[in-house]
Amino acid sequence: MNRSFKRSFTVACSTGLMLSALAACGGNGENAGADNEAENNASGGNNTAEENNGNNAEGNSNGEGNGEVAGELEIQYFVGGYGDSWWQEVISDFEAEYPDVTVTHHAGPNINDEMRSRWVSDDPPDVVYIDGAGSSETQMVEDGQLMDLTDWLSEVETADGEQLEDSFIVDPATYDGQIHSLPLVFDTWGTWYNAAQFEAEGYEVPTDFDSYMSTMGEIQDNEGIAPFVTTGQHPYYFLRGVLTPAFGAAGGDELLADIVTGEEGVWEREEVVAQMEKVAEMQEAGYIDDGFGAFNHTQSQMNFLLGDNAFIPVGFWLPNEMAEDTPEDFEYGFIPSPMQDEGEPYAIVPDLRPLAIAENADNPDAAKAFVEFVFTQEYATLFSEHTGAIMNLEGVDLSENENVPDYLIEANAMINDPDQVQIYHRPHPMSADLETPIGDSLTALMLGTITVEEFIEDAEAATADYRGE
Amino acid sequence: MVQTKKQKYLFLAFCLVPTFILFAIFTLYPLFSGLYFSFFSWSGSAAAREFIGIDNYIRLFNDGIIPRTILHDYFLVITKVFGIMVLAMYFAVAIMQMKIKEAPFYRIIFFFPNIMSVVVIGILWTFIYNPSMGLINSGLEAVGLEQLARPWLGSETWALPAIVLPSIWAGIGLFMLMLMGGIGTISKSYYEAAELDGANEWQQFWKVTVPLLWPQIKVAVLYIVITTLNGSFIIVQIMTGGGPNNSTHVMGSYLYQQAFQQYNFGYGATIGVMILVLSLLTVFLLQKLMKREKVQY
Repeated sequence: MNRSFKRSFTVACSTGLMLSALAACGGNGENAGADNEAENNASGGNNTAEENNGNNAEGNSNGEGNGEVAGELEIQYFVGGYGDSWWQEVISDFEAEYPDVTVTHHAGPNINDEMRSRWVSDDPPDVVYIDGAGSSETQMVEDGQLMDLTDWLSEVETADGEQLEDSFIVDPATYDGQIHSLPLVFDTWGTWYNAAQFEAEGYEVPTDFDSYMSTMGEIQDNEGIAPFVTTGQHPYYFLRGVLTPAFGAAGGDELLADIVTGEEGVWEREEVVAQMEKVAEMQEAGYIDDGFGAFNHTQSQMNFLLGDNAFIPVGFWLPNEMAEDTPEDFEYGFIPSPMQDEGEPYAIVPDLRPLAIAENADNPDAAKAFVEFVFTQEYATLFSEHTGAIMNLEGVDLSENENVPDYLIEANAMINDPDQVQIYHRPHPMSADLETPIGDSLTALMLGTITVEEFIEDAEAATADYRGE
Repeated sequence: MVQTKKQKYLFLAFCLVPTFILFAIFTLYPLFSGLYFSFFSWSGSAAAREFIGIDNYIRLFNDGIIPRTILHDYFLVITKVFGIMVLAMYFAVAIMQMKIKEAPFYRIIFFFPNIMSVVVIGILWTFIYNPSMGLINSGLEAVGLEQLARPWLGSETWALPAIVLPSIWAGIGLFMLMLMGGIGTISKSYYEAAELDGANEWQQFWKVTVPLLWPQIKVAVLYIVITTLNGSFIIVQIMTGGGPNNSTHVMGSYLYQQAFQQYNFGYGATIGVMILVLSLLTVFLLQKLMKREKVQY
């Protein structure tokens, strides 16, 4: 008995050691990620320093005569998939242009949580870029934290001499007709695939839902994988990346508006039910990775890059976010999520990341000067070069720019071709109170534990709750 | 030297007042402000808030997710208490009574998870449960049991039981040490006397070890219950975020979601009050249930 006990202890020990080793691996992985991020920043920083030298000289010569804008300017910006090198450069140029202004950066991946106490105590920063976890434009407007920019916007001109309100690709969100934020980043969700693999294997890039299903079927047969993956921990990736454009294609701006405002009976409409049936069809065919329920966004993206899956719905930031983990032979391909019926153009619903000025800003003049300063062709081009995404400003020509990745040039050309892509709009983002319960039921539908009818019941109950009934 | 009454009170105040002040700032103030905020509609990210009376409490009773979170919490409490206590007791007795040479080594090995952060444990086990490259599914496939492989954390049925395993694994070491300390204080003569009376090892365990170890067992159980009710949300948040479809949400993780992701801080505070009340009730009941006369031989 003693011997068998000792043996079981040996087994327990070796298991323990193995787990410890794994823990160490996990730890290293984390560190590696952090190092990569640091490296990223460092390389961004180098760029910034070099390019700044040129801009600073220019800035100083222009800087005179702007002395009225002075003092401390606090800027809060979230650093996520797009990195912070663009911000560093813009702010540095702004300081050169306005030498009497000292900019304080409040930046980082958790900055929204870190700055929360400042907003709660009515001592907010002057300018805020609203993006990332822990931030909500709708909530900030409801709480009266953002300055009404309606009148100011009608007068302001950009440094390029254009009327700013006429220069946006997508107009600012309105709340009861008032403008509280200016859309800075033209984000859009879509579906990514490995273009190199598709070319090598001869897979057809989907152009509508039917061809999407047939390509997924072919990949499932050939590769023996579930072709589609997304994050189940954040179901809004699927909601914003796949369903929202699907609803845009099926019912236009009107349907999108009814969905985000929680209109009674909207989920029971024929065109909505038809889209949900498409999701159920993907699940029943076994095209959705059955492990997606527990994946966070990084895990799902890693699986996609490792070839465990072939399609993933993410925004434009994916290549930048995963730059350090992308295999060498991997080539990013982007299409708007192909949920539309045959013969219809792809649908895109821009997801805008805005810049706003705090209602209680200490230095509103400097804040306005900064917002004016940012919306120029120069910084819009730089934005695409630094982040691989698009700034929400018209007339930026990326087609000849060597510093912009190929997928962005192709996607940009596609988005600007109305025969290929139709752009739809929603009045404002969906509130977390509505998005969360709908997202939960959506996960269940995609896992196959509830039916389309049950999903619709849940979604209707969520909209009723949201309307306060 | 005799102390005057004044000196005595001054000394007492010197000892107690700073402690009380710290207790008031870090325990009483958050407790009462949590209770206070539960009567407000407040996003938690702005200064503006509105008094709404007991509306948050009405909402609590009508929220379909709340009963599920309570159930999940008590599922974790029961499985963790049994899992940790049985294994910790087994290892403690084995190491103390069987006189194995490598005892100090095993002590370190078993205590090892306790020095790791819960966050690291959560991430580590997320890798172990990974459906395609995780240790568990790969292991099952290697031994020909691939029909048992499943997306553990991604399944509404298996996600919660899957969280229990790392919670138990991470908890054994501390309680094993606590029980080992208790066993060390039991005089060998009781076991010798029991052996002379013809008691076998199993009887010795139930009649000598358990009664004399009862104070440690009681503390350990209470500690597991309290830390599970208050702290299980960390591992849930790391491993599943409460999903899929709320199948692993515990009260704490649902509080976090409401307060910090859905901007219903007032409602989050109400859930906090519920956790406090349920924790107090549970501890009170356990105290009653586990009350025994102190055993002395």
